[in-house]
Amino acid sequence: MINFSSTASSNLTIWGKVKSLPYILILLIITVAGLGGIALYSAAGGEFYHWADKHFLRFSFLFTGMIIIAVIHLKYWYWLSYPLWLVGFTLLLIVELMGQVGMGAQRWINLGFMNLQPSELMKIAVIMSLARYYHDIGIRGARKYKNLMWPAIIMGLPMALVMLQPDLGTALMIGMGGISVLFLAGVPARLFIVGIIALSAIIPLSYQYVLKDYQRARVDTFLDPSRDPMGAGYHVTQSKIAIGSGGVNGKGFLEGTQSRLNFLPEKHTDFIFTLWTEEHGFTGGLFIIGLYIATFVFGFIYAFQAKHVFSRLLILGLCINLSLYVMINTGMVMGVLPVVGVPLPLVSYGGSAMLAALICYGLIISARVHHGQPIPKGEDF
Amino acid sequence: MSLLNRWNKNIATLISTRGEALYVGRTRLRIVQSICLLLFALVLIRLGDLTLMQTPNEPNIDRKHASVQSMERADIVDRNGVLLATTLQVSSLYADPTLIENKAFVANQLEAILDVDNLISKIDRKGRFVWIKRGLTPSEHFKVNALGIPGLAFRTETRRFYPQGNLSSHVVGYTSVDSRGLAGMELEYDDRLAQGGEALSLNMDVRVQHALVKSLRLQMDNFNALAAMGGVVDIQTGEVVAAVSLPDFDPHHAGKADKSALRNRFAQGVYEMGSTFKLFSTANYIEKTGKSFSKTFDAREPLKEGRFTINDYHAEKRILTLPEVFIHSSNIGSALMGRAIGSENMQKFYTDLGFMDKMDVDFPGNPKPLTPSPWRDVNTLTASYGHGIAVTPLHVLQAAATIANNGVRPTLSFAKDAQHDPIQSRVLSASTAYKMRQLLRLNVTDGSGKQADVPGYMVGGKTGTSEKAGKGGYDKDRLLSSFLGVFPVDNPRYAVLAVLDEPKGNKKSHGYATGGWTAAPVVGDVISDMTRVLGMMPNPKAPNLTAGLSRYLKKENTITPASYQR
Repeated sequence: MINFSSTASSNLTIWGKVKSLPYILILLIITVAGLGGIALYSAAGGEFYHWADKHFLRFSFLFTGMIIIAVIHLKYWYWLSYPLWLVGFTLLLIVELMGQVGMGAQRWINLGFMNLQPSELMKIAVIMSLARYYHDIGIRGARKYKNLMWPAIIMGLPMALVMLQPDLGTALMIGMGGISVLFLAGVPARLFIVGIIALSAIIPLSYQYVLKDYQRARVDTFLDPSRDPMGAGYHVTQSKIAIGSGGVNGKGFLEGTQSRLNFLPEKHTDFIFTLWTEEHGFTGGLFIIGLYIATFVFGFIYAFQAKHVFSRLLILGLCINLSLYVMINTGMVMGVLPVVGVPLPLVSYGGSAMLAALICYGLIISARVHHGQPIPKGEDF
Repeated sequence: MSLLNRWNKNIATLISTRGEALYVGRTRLRIVQSICLLLFALVLIRLGDLTLMQTPNEPNIDRKHASVQSMERADIVDRNGVLLATTLQVSSLYADPTLIENKAFVANQLEAILDVDNLISKIDRKGRFVWIKRGLTPSEHFKVNALGIPGLAFRTETRRFYPQGNLSSHVVGYTSVDSRGLAGMELEYDDRLAQGGEALSLNMDVRVQHALVKSLRLQMDNFNALAAMGGVVDIQTGEVVAAVSLPDFDPHHAGKADKSALRNRFAQGVYEMGSTFKLFSTANYIEKTGKSFSKTFDAREPLKEGRFTINDYHAEKRILTLPEVFIHSSNIGSALMGRAIGSENMQKFYTDLGFMDKMDVDFPGNPKPLTPSPWRDVNTLTASYGHGIAVTPLHVLQAAATIANNGVRPTLSFAKDAQHDPIQSRVLSASTAYKMRQLLRLNVTDGSGKQADVPGYMVGGKTGTSEKAGKGGYDKDRLLSSFLGVFPVDNPRYAVLAVLDEPKGNKKSHGYATGGWTAAPVVGDVISDMTRVLGMMPNPKAPNLTAGLSRYLKKENTITPASYQR
């Protein structure tokens, strides 16, 4: 069934694909992960064999995985969209049921070498499935309201499950990623305008009736960290001090007192950007965010040049997904967003986020490498 | 550049050739991309805002908790500029274990110099930073330096020092390791002190403070008391010149002091003060009824109120005049006054004196007094002789200052720049206040306060001895003995309070542990000491406030030692 010779194109051989990989983008990705390792070395107090070693080890494995994803023909990813959604959804259900049965509020499955959070994979599967769906029905189909049913199910079911965990942040990320795909696919614009108006009405209400106490506390502290500087506002307050103390050029590598003297818990995971900016200052922070933006600009260009709907929606959706990680993480450590526990991809310590990020980049690159290849509508294995 | 060119070319060709579908797709693509880049721009602006701009508001809330050390905490001085608390720089020793070669040897060397144990466990580990000892003495610093071991280094830190040690520990308070105020003035004025700058001036006079500590400690030992407390207040200004709570503690090692020593009894402990309160109920009675000193009270029989019976400690078992009720400290007489005043008036007056709420004073942790709730008529009777209502000694000093200040209530303050409520409220008429000064003086010349007298200084005062509440009622053997003095009564300047907690009678006191025996001498000593250090001259020409009052006293009833009483 897999027939590479069906179309006579030179870059369909493995070697041809490897040659056409976007090496600048790949170099950017390696650089970000390398900076992450440096930050983790500093976070451990100048200790390599603490977090940095595992970070680099994981990256080399998952990076290989990314390249493999990138050279697999995009049509297989197209075919796999719905099955992957089903797998992700099943895993989510398992986690949810295990939590019910008595393993506590677990959000992950232990794979031995790492803990896998199904919700991270779900974000990707939702984007893939939506991209496929709109690829199949085309722009005219996208204009019809009745065709919103399937996208609503594709997004709504996993969101509901994640919300039950309860993990509002991830649920919102799935929603935002999905909605941007819908918008790109050509769903009537007035729907989004109505949606925005409705949201601004719903948000104050949900604050009152939907949010749990701890979530409300997070929002309250976000709006005014000084109301509880030693409690819920502690992270953000300390984080802002640390970032602010970095100044233009930072205090220097291994010199970040605020972060390293344990004023800041979670300095190696969600608050790694704080440590980085304290030690490397505005220029360091600008550099690392700039690297991310550069990778997204590559994605934007690929999306523009994409020859068909699946490729375009997939690339953009994944770019949005990745930039949501970066924006939410940096936003929360700098006190412009509530603390929702989103890591900085490729820099924060932890396997799930790195896995998810490298799958995203792998699929983007795959869409790029195969951008000349047609993908038939509605076709499967 | 070539990418961009290709990009533009693509758009152009695509719009023209593929029509509407792709056109919509591309427009939306651009919208999404723009929003995305715009949000990133906001993130970067915020980054610049945090790192490059020093917004004055934001770090303020944080500085208090996180980076106090960078700022030198302000000194605290007494009213004459005597240093009570200051910040010194000390060096702290830390190690980078990776640079230390022979760890066992280094640990041994350091243990010989520094008084620390088990150093090897600190040094022999991963990581690149570990504290060895913080706050080294200069000689320790010198010796460690002389070892010349690589991998050891010093960091300069600040430490709070209290040159007066225990003397003022309960007023000045203490700080945590990272220089945050935890008690006393250090806590009350934490923000102000943390900002550094000019020293905080207290109203305390260490010389008067010392006199009070010395006398209280002496009596505490003489009578084997559990605790002692007291204070001196400037009646006209409300300045707290001395405030003592014994046992006290070393503010440098407050963490190691035991709980009892850390308890601040003058500002934070509440006590049923006993007969001292007759000063207030009698004032209230004279004010409300307008009765003169010739008014009599039948103290022949115990007073019944409901199921309660009120007795006198050393019953005179006769009809007493108003001044006699005061100087013999008759509970029956006071309770009769309370009955005449009525519950409503009593509560109103005690509220005016500040007994019903925590004080408006620049000292942390002053509690709301324990007051009867609900307030029944029997509570009015007991409250007139200081039972069933528990207040802090500071409350008593403020109320006494009110009576002595011609009936106008001053606001007590510990620091010079305390936020004063400028409006002093009158709670008692001047004529009643004058009568009370007469009674206070009479109690010292002819009553239970003789041991507080200091010739030439016209001391007036009232004793108090209350039984402490124990399991199932009041305990006759556990007393709270106090004396509340005011001087000079002809023109009151200072109110002095001394309280002893559970004093035990001794041979000299014929077994008595009452306020007249235990606390009155403290007040007498303090007055005689403080008049000397403050340079107050005795006034032999002072008017005799008690002239003519002897006609209200029964002549043959001389005061025996036994009736140095409640």
